[in-house]
Amino acid sequence: MAFSSDLDQITRAAAGDPAAVRALVNRYSPGVLSLATRMLSDRGEAEDVTQETFIRAWKALPDWEPRAKFSTWLHRVALNLCYDRLRKRRESLPGELPDLADTRLAPHEALDQSQRVRAIEAAIGALPERQSAALTLCALQGHSQAEAAEIMDVSVEALESLLARARRTLRAHLLEGSQSA
Amino acid sequence: MTEDRLIELIESWGADPSAFPEAERAAARALLAANPARFAAAMAEARALDEALARMPDVLPSAALTEALVASAPKPKRAGGGFRLPKFAPWAPASGAAALAAGLFMGLMVAPTASADSDTDDVQALLEEAIGYDPAALSEGIVE
Repeated sequence: MAFSSDLDQITRAAAGDPAAVRALVNRYSPGVLSLATRMLSDRGEAEDVTQETFIRAWKALPDWEPRAKFSTWLHRVALNLCYDRLRKRRESLPGELPDLADTRLAPHEALDQSQRVRAIEAAIGALPERQSAALTLCALQGHSQAEAAEIMDVSVEALESLLARARRTLRAHLLEGSQSA
Repeated sequence: MTEDRLIELIESWGADPSAFPEAERAAARALLAANPARFAAAMAEARALDEALARMPDVLPSAALTEALVASAPKPKRAGGGFRLPKFAPWAPASGAAALAAGLFMGLMVAPTASADSDTDDVQALLEEAIGYDPAALSEGIVE
């Protein structure tokens, strides 16, 4: 669907056509930023990853060969940059195991919508990184199974397993939170 | 499609069968329709999570980020700008030859006339060949 128009826009963007550049940015930056935000739970870092992703994209455009969808390639670059940052975070805190953020609501807190959203965001951010990526790509961004698997460089079966574990953890965590409220 | 497999699908992909892998979708729908009570609890749990995830707000780039992304893109190649190599000028060799001839001519005019006649003849011939006429004749006002 967007494949051929992607190629046309990529070709024009590579030549510096401002309209094509803006079209690519408008079309793909929300998905890239959203993925990075969910993965990193940090808006500033997510914006840095988005910028780095697009800088790499601009460099790649002149030699772009449509072996994969541009969207898939772009999200894979972004995801790998997120993995790099998460690894550096772990390395900067040697000996510390990643804690699950406490997304449960305190008893006095009402379960209003914004609190639910924050609790889910925190719970997704606290998932192991590949589970978080699988959930974000499939459940939040609506990528097809094949696309999400390609972005993550895993089989669809492995993706399904990651999703099952992510949803189970999220459900348990959120259920626990609502019961304690 | 087994019951256990259908539970796995619900737990992985959620309560909407259209999200299940295509190859298993039809069989999963048939099993769900055949025994809805058996899967009601799993479906309710999955649906609650689906709805919670669906309420998550979109993450949208700020105008500043959008402009930064656009600004980092390749710039259009300007037609008139930048350093350009000089183009080949077809008259350049001719002007060089003319300058050479003029130099020789001036040199001859101001040179001492006491040089050997044979040398003068040789230079005269060379000049004639280079500029196409006899400079001595020109100096005497007989060139047409």
